[in-house]
Amino acid sequence: MDERGKMSGKELGGQEKTSSLTDENPEESIIKALLDAFPTAVTDFKKLGKGVVRARIERRDLFKACMFMRDSQGFEHLSMISAVEYDSRFELVYHITSYQHKLFLELITTTPKEDPSVDSVSSVWGGADWQERESFDLMGIKFNNHPKLERILLPKDFTYHPLRKDFKG
Amino acid sequence: MAEMWINMGPQHPMTHGLWNLRIKVDGETIVDAEPEVGYLHRGIEKLCEDRTYTQIIPITDRLCYGSSLTWSHLYCLAVEDLMGVEVPPRAEYIRVAAIEMQRIASHQMWLAAYAADLGLMLGFIYSMRDREIFIDLLQALSGSRITYNFPRIGGVAHDVPPNFERDSLRACAFMEKKLDEYEDIYDGSKVFMLRNEGVGVLKKSDAMNLGVTGPPLRASGVKYDLRKDMPYSVYPEMEFEPATHGDGDCYARFRVRMDEMRESCKIIRQAVTKMPKGKTRIVAPRNAPVGTGLGRVEDPRGEGVMYVVGDGTDKPYRLKIRSPIFVTVSAAPKILVGYKVADVVAIMGGLDMCIGETDR
Amino acid sequence: MDLITKDFFNWATRNSIYPLHFGIMCCALEMAVASAPRFDAQRFGVIYRSTPRQCDVLLVNGPVSKKLKPALRRLYDQMPEPKWVIAMGECAISGGPFYSSYSVVPGVDQFIPVDIYIPGCPARPEALIDGFLKLQKMIKASKKGLLTGK
Repeated sequence: MDERGKMSGKELGGQEKTSSLTDENPEESIIKALLDAFPTAVTDFKKLGKGVVRARIERRDLFKACMFMRDSQGFEHLSMISAVEYDSRFELVYHITSYQHKLFLELITTTPKEDPSVDSVSSVWGGADWQERESFDLMGIKFNNHPKLERILLPKDFTYHPLRKDFKG
Repeated sequence: MAEMWINMGPQHPMTHGLWNLRIKVDGETIVDAEPEVGYLHRGIEKLCEDRTYTQIIPITDRLCYGSSLTWSHLYCLAVEDLMGVEVPPRAEYIRVAAIEMQRIASHQMWLAAYAADLGLMLGFIYSMRDREIFIDLLQALSGSRITYNFPRIGGVAHDVPPNFERDSLRACAFMEKKLDEYEDIYDGSKVFMLRNEGVGVLKKSDAMNLGVTGPPLRASGVKYDLRKDMPYSVYPEMEFEPATHGDGDCYARFRVRMDEMRESCKIIRQAVTKMPKGKTRIVAPRNAPVGTGLGRVEDPRGEGVMYVVGDGTDKPYRLKIRSPIFVTVSAAPKILVGYKVADVVAIMGGLDMCIGETDR
Repeated sequence: MDLITKDFFNWATRNSIYPLHFGIMCCALEMAVASAPRFDAQRFGVIYRSTPRQCDVLLVNGPVSKKLKPALRRLYDQMPEPKWVIAMGECAISGGPFYSSYSVVPGVDQFIPVDIYIPGCPARPEALIDGFLKLQKMIKASKKGLLTGK
């Protein structure tokens, strides 16, 4: 149980690759562009494989970063929004795809345990609509400015959020 | 004008699987639509946190029962990424051959249901009969007809049966001949063409933004297939072309799936003839390291993703599943508005819904 | 009058079982295949109907979630007498692999009376046809006639 509380951005699994900002790889160019646009918000990055990059970002700049990635970097498709609960925080993992550059970006943002809320990206990608409703339904994350944040998979009168660790089925 | 909401489902012969489609109609024209899912929610993501990594494989089979091998393969890919395990080449070739057979069986099942809905009972009878050829091959390989429990973390459960190569090549030759026959039947049927051409047009920009993946995306003109563009397993060594079509209507989606079946036959031929000798499985460690694993595949219905978080024990801490149909169905209001009630069957049938993966 | 016609109506009922077009999960695929050319349930008189008002048999072939429970009960109530229920597959009998889930009802016989249980995960199409044949034997043994239901 303690290991999860100590998990920080630096020691996660996956392939360890030291990346240099002067390389002309496409993965490096995303990282460079993100760091240039949001120098204070992006806290960590790692190349996970061919065409796959992970970056950590502060929650206050998430909406602007998603808009930036869609409009100027050509990331047209949002694949998945996952919500993970750790001992001291919630993590939201956004996986976005670029069809034209054939790249896959994993954006991770953290929210404190008492206030699991983040801005909705459903106005950036329409595909985020139902995925955010599902995260709300099962994990209880609130998305600000979502057009219709209601339960989707469970009956409307269900009162718990089942995927939380304190819910015992 | 009187507008009213109509409920189609959850029990309706059109809905394959249990979901409810509420449409707002003005006369016969659809003005708004709202799909409602959740009738098959089984809480799989919570169940998986109580089971060991190997015990989860039969459960992932039952996520989308139309193409269950893809889901257990996707799960094994994600966990092998987490554990850093490398699969022997013979197992990769067996996996690819089985997955492409599963793809043909899944598309045949779709075609049977689609034809039956549109009134072409002949299509139902023919497709069900021809699907049995591939189900027999998969039954000889794994022992079961639809939920196989065949991939393992680190390979596959056991080796191929004798005469597998000869039988697969015969099945592919048979299938290609039958596909020519189907195209004659469907293209020559005036009613089928009337109900499909120009119906349910989805523009390219809408398809990309709304998260639609798989055959509907390729039918709208985006040439993106995960097996070719971000390949996994031994797909880099296979020669095939992803099928695309530009119109974005129901006929385009039908065409894309027929072409995909042809390409799958090509891949099966290459996989069974080029299969190297060797081991079919290595023993994976029991406990996973602390970290995350990611797997992505091209499911017959779209892009499937799994995200696994390991915590050092033999059970996953969190397993998140991305279902392609969950996102494609949320695009339904965009496609349905402006068409008639009778077009709902063709449009929603063309999206090939499998509710097992939507509701998890 | 009833004594003369009862056997005749019983014969007619058991040779024309009409199940409802209702598929929940994997066993529904095997239900569809059972009416396909290889296994062919239609030779026993089994034809699927779309509305519960015209059906004899409710074939439950998957796990019943808490959201579905009221809808399924309503479908059962809408079917006219005489009616039978077949629970097909492990999920309908007892919850199946999802028995410990928070949103699955462990067995459909918790709120609907079941007549025939068909085991298997998924149940093979031959097992489903065998289930129909056993239902026919059960109807014959119960000596129910259609008109009076007695």
